[in-house]
Amino acid sequence: MAARFTRPAPSMATLHALESALASFRISQPTIGKRFASHQAQGRANKAKQGPGKRLGAKKIAGEYVVTGNILYKQRGTLWFPGDNCFMGRDHTIHAGSPGYVKYYRDPLKHPKRKYIGVVFERNQTLPQAPGTPTRRRLGMLAYQMPDQEEEIVTADLTTAPALENDAAAPATQIRQEPQESRSVTITKGKKGDRQEIKLHLRPGGMYRQANWEIGRAAERSKAAMSVRPFKPGDRFAAWRKRTARVARSAERRAMTRGGKKSKK
Amino acid sequence: MALERSARPLAQSLRCTRHERIALPIRSFTSSTARQETETQQQSTKPPLDPFTVATPRLERKLLREQKKIPIGSRRRRAAMLTSPNIPFVELPYQCFQEARKYLQEDRTQKLEEIRVQRERIERLADKVVVDPSEQQKKNHRLRSMRQYLEELKILADINDPMIKKKFEDGQGDMNKPIYRHLADKKWRSHKRLLLMQRIEQMHVTPDVLAKVDPIVETTLSFTGPSRADRHRVARMVQHGDIVDSRVSEKAPTLRIQPFQKGEKLYTIAVINPDVPNVAADAFDTRCHFLACNIPVSPTKPYVQLGRLNKEQIVLPWLPAFSQKGLPYQRMSIWILEQPPQGELPAGSNDALPSKPLDVKALQENEKSSTRENFNLRGFVGHTKTTPVGVDLFRTVWDEGTAGVMRRAGIIGGDVEFKNKRIEPLPYKRLKENRYR
Repeated sequence: MAARFTRPAPSMATLHALESALASFRISQPTIGKRFASHQAQGRANKAKQGPGKRLGAKKIAGEYVVTGNILYKQRGTLWFPGDNCFMGRDHTIHAGSPGYVKYYRDPLKHPKRKYIGVVFERNQTLPQAPGTPTRRRLGMLAYQMPDQEEEIVTADLTTAPALENDAAAPATQIRQEPQESRSVTITKGKKGDRQEIKLHLRPGGMYRQANWEIGRAAERSKAAMSVRPFKPGDRFAAWRKRTARVARSAERRAMTRGGKKSKK
Repeated sequence: MALERSARPLAQSLRCTRHERIALPIRSFTSSTARQETETQQQSTKPPLDPFTVATPRLERKLLREQKKIPIGSRRRRAAMLTSPNIPFVELPYQCFQEARKYLQEDRTQKLEEIRVQRERIERLADKVVVDPSEQQKKNHRLRSMRQYLEELKILADINDPMIKKKFEDGQGDMNKPIYRHLADKKWRSHKRLLLMQRIEQMHVTPDVLAKVDPIVETTLSFTGPSRADRHRVARMVQHGDIVDSRVSEKAPTLRIQPFQKGEKLYTIAVINPDVPNVAADAFDTRCHFLACNIPVSPTKPYVQLGRLNKEQIVLPWLPAFSQKGLPYQRMSIWILEQPPQGELPAGSNDALPSKPLDVKALQENEKSSTRENFNLRGFVGHTKTTPVGVDLFRTVWDEGTAGVMRRAGIIGGDVEFKNKRIEPLPYKRLKENRYR
């Protein structure tokens, strides 16, 4: 009933005209920005900030003495390349490959744009080497007399290997000193005709079982797998025979199913 | 079926019983009678082995064993050849193909005519008498360029011939003819030479042994393997830079040196190992494992058995390749050095000059060239005025057989093991340890 007495709402056109007429009397313009109830907090929304410093850059300066494995330069990407007697690590870090003095250099004959870090053996040597000269190398090894081939000590079960001289505590720690491999047990498992030898290892926690990777590869040793002729990648003749047989087979099958109508050309 | 209605009905196997619709014997495109064909069919119960048609590995081995022939082409091609009528190009019933052949033949006659004209021109210019030395120089230059053009024409005359292409691909090319030498050179440069140069550069054979090398002869290395049960020795091909078992490389290898230039020349072969350990100097020395001079090689006679050379040729006999335990691999670089020519040829002639033989006795007496240790190949090349024209490489590491090989060859040091020298860490690490102790 109340709806009958309410005044009808003014049309949109009227409202618009009123708004534009009042606009000239307004002091401030209507605000454009809006605020919403929620705010994106994750992802790229608020611009990534600089993280902690990664401590990149030169760790050894030119002419400094380094030994094998020392880090010479840490970098993202390859600002510098490994030169003579240097190598590059997994994250492009340059390491020294032999003891010597660090050299930073360019080698236009090797590459026109690359910068290299190298190691020389004497302080006065320079890099790159003159073209055509033998590469400077160090042996870095010493010669030793090889020990004579000792007779292999065969130990039976329940007997301990003869203790070494001056080894008072040998028998007490014998089991621990033995390699883990020697404790493995070999059993046969599987159906008749498909029996396989399985080696059980002593796992942490005192249980004897196969390693997971061995269980995963068990199918490869099965009878069915062994009966498959191994694939030879380069054997084009076998591939050709196989393909020819397949083509003939499919042609025959097609001829059978469609009454040979389609195969006519 | 689609297969039998295609352009080549003979592509099917004759032995296959499924295709009984084919009436045997098959008539090919020959003019002979059917009776003859049935006779050949009867013979085919035990056909003689043909290097063009042996298609199974067993028959290939049989061919190699009985006739000492190597099967030609791929196995797939040989299997196809078994059933193909093998019609010569002249009789092939394809009009377009025959028209193309006619066109190529016309081009060939044109080239032959040009060759004849060029020959006459060269003769005429060579007969011309010139007094002024500058004129003489000009004439010689002109003669040389004319000869070069003539050689190009010789190749252009034959390069489009399908028969020549077929013969070359079957390995039956005559290396006395310039066209086959040209094709062989092109084939070598397209892949094998690139591979060789990559190995030589990446393993730093140049500049460790010689400053640089630009090979112009193809080298193929093979060792005779251990004899099998049937007393048949199998040659083991060695790819450039392969690591070879020390027992295999105990005996001197066979080298195939394939030159692509005319004429027989004398070569010097040196095998240099630049990785000999020198503990006292903490460095690497070189060692010469083999040195022989005056080895004649021509495009048709490329094989050199290093173990079977004359005593008058050998300066240093073969020393087995060995690498002591713990050492990195040893590069055995094989160098083919061309000996300098005798005298000079008149400009414009195409003859191959004989090489100057080296004085082997003098080399044997010279201490520098007759000692294996610290052999300097750079000095040898400069001294004998030879030029490196070919290179090959194989590597050796310590393996189970090395100790035995060294013992049999009378080399001491088979029981020496090399271990990395301990490098003192930089002092700051030691300080740290002291602090926490």
